Amino acid sequence: MYLDRLMNQGSVPVLEQFAQFTDARQNVLGEDIANVSTPNYVQKDLSLEKFQELMRAKIDKTDSAGPGSLDFNDISMDIQNPSNDILFHDGNNRSMEQLMSDQAKNALMHNLAVELLRTQYAELETAIKEGK
Amino acid sequence: MFEILDMGASALTAQRVRMDTIAGNIANINTLRDANGKPNPYRRRFVVFAPGQAGDTSKPGVHVKSIELDQSPLPKRYDPGNPDADKDGYVSYPNVDMAIEFVNALEASRAYEANVTMMDTAKSMFNSSLRLLA
Repeated sequence: MYLDRLMNQGSVPVLEQFAQFTDARQNVLGEDIANVSTPNYVQKDLSLEKFQELMRAKIDKTDSAGPGSLDFNDISMDIQNPSNDILFHDGNNRSMEQLMSDQAKNALMHNLAVELLRTQYAELETAIKEGK
Repeated sequence: MFEILDMGASALTAQRVRMDTIAGNIANINTLRDANGKPNPYRRRFVVFAPGQAGDTSKPGVHVKSIELDQSPLPKRYDPGNPDADKDGYVSYPNVDMAIEFVNALEASRAYEANVTMMDTAKSMFNSSLRLLA
């Protein structure tokens, strides 16, 4: 119970959720890149803004509930079609530059979240070992 | 978590098949006869992609749905001395346009590179996640 409280307060659950989000988004972007030459394929994406909005609302709500009660697992995202501008004769709305920069940014954000999580866990370990 | 690599692999396979088809078109740009030696000018082939992996289309990815024959008219050249000439002295040549083939080859090559980069990025993400354990 006490360990549960330790793991579910501060930025740990937020970072966990963010890493999960970037992982899911990488899959969606990967599918877009795989289908870059598929006729009539419409590109999909998970909105980072929408995710942050949902996350912000969740943090605001749980702030008053006190530590140890954060649960972000009910945040779900819908797959969105970011643009309906069809520029190609095959009906595909690909934008390779956008896709490649999005997936690079997404990976960096994932690595950032994981690195911060690592720091949190390392601090926890230091505390468990009584600073030794 | 590893399905992204399968997805990338499906795209690499599809783009490679596309490149093979283009190579076949360029190789046969002057082929006037079929495999049996009968007069039958080569027709340009092209791949049609569809979403979903080859073995199981419910999995995300891409696969080659079919390889189609380009039914556009064959260009004719006046060459009455050629044994394949028709009664008016015209010879039908394959409907392969080198410029179109090169543009498609370049697109296939770029798409292949993009997928390799995507798989590389996914691998770096796995590695950073794995470092959480160590």
